[in-house]
This record gives sequence, structure tokens and C-alpha cells, in this order.
Amino acid sequence: MDFSSPSSGSSSTQFNPDAFKNQLQNQLAQAYAEEFLETLRTKCFDKCITKPGSSLSGGESSCISRCMDRYVEATGIISKSLFSATQH
Amino acid sequence: MDPSVMQNPELASIINQEQQRAMVNEMVGKLTSACWDKCITSTPGSKFSSSETACLSNCARRYLDMSMIIMKRFQNMQ
Repeated sequence: MDFSSPSSGSSSTQFNPDAFKNQLQNQLAQAYAEEFLETLRTKCFDKCITKPGSSLSGGESSCISRCMDRYVEATGIISKSLFSATQH
Repeated sequence: MDPSVMQNPELASIINQEQQRAMVNEMVGKLTSACWDKCITSTPGSKFSSSETACLSNCARRYLDMSMIIMKRFQNMQ
């Protein structure tokens, strides 16, 4: 990872806070997304694939879609609830 | 990289800010997971029932209440 900014003529690298911040936020966002995906897999597998068959049924597929939507919605509800609770 | 970078206050501020954000994300993640398990007991539908929504919202608040109780009681134990 290179956080240096181009410095004309100088051979030393300068620390660039903006580049660092962007890189850091990108990597954190990626890590967070992966963790969220893993949670989705766990929750929706539990709720929707109760008796694994030889293939995914239509019911199981639509359950998975709904489950994902609901879990995202639940995350929003919890966030909002926490946020407004800490305001009082 | 110049080692004095580690004393850089701007760097410290950036890291601190991201740390705070990460802690909030972790809290939301853990709570959503726990509250989902407590509140969504049947197969997920195309929308939440009003009781499911209320349960999720309450769940977060009650967790905070509990957290305070635990903190206070623990301090009394010291």
C-alpha cells in the first residue's frame, strides 16, 4: 500500500492523510460487507433450508430472498432504535 | 515511511474516528443478530408484522437498559 503523495524532486515519501483515510475506509467497508454476507448466509440457512433436498425448491429460493430483505430491514430498525435511544 | 508518522495527530484522528465507527458497526451487527433470533421466530415474510417490528425495536432498547444495570451493579460489587 502506498500512501505517499508525489513530491517533486524529493526522494523521501510523504505521508498522505487523504489517501490513507480512503484506503482505510475502503478496506473496512469491504471487511464489514464480508462479515454481513456471512451473517446473512447463517441466518437464512437456518430459517429457509430446514430439510435439505436434492436441489433448492422454489419455496426455499423465495424464502432466501425474503430473508435477505428482512434482515437488511432488521439492521435498519436496530440502528434507528439505538441511534434514537442514545439521543435522550 | 518516516517513523514520525506515528506521532502524526491527523493520523491518530483518522484512526480514532474509524475505530469509533467500527465499534458502532459491531454493536449494530451483534444486536441485529441476537434480536433477529429472539424476534423473528417464523419463516421470513414479505414484510415484518407490527409485533416483529416492535420486538426488534424494543430488543435494542432493552439491551441498552440491561447494559446500564450491569454497569451499575458491577460498580457496586467493587
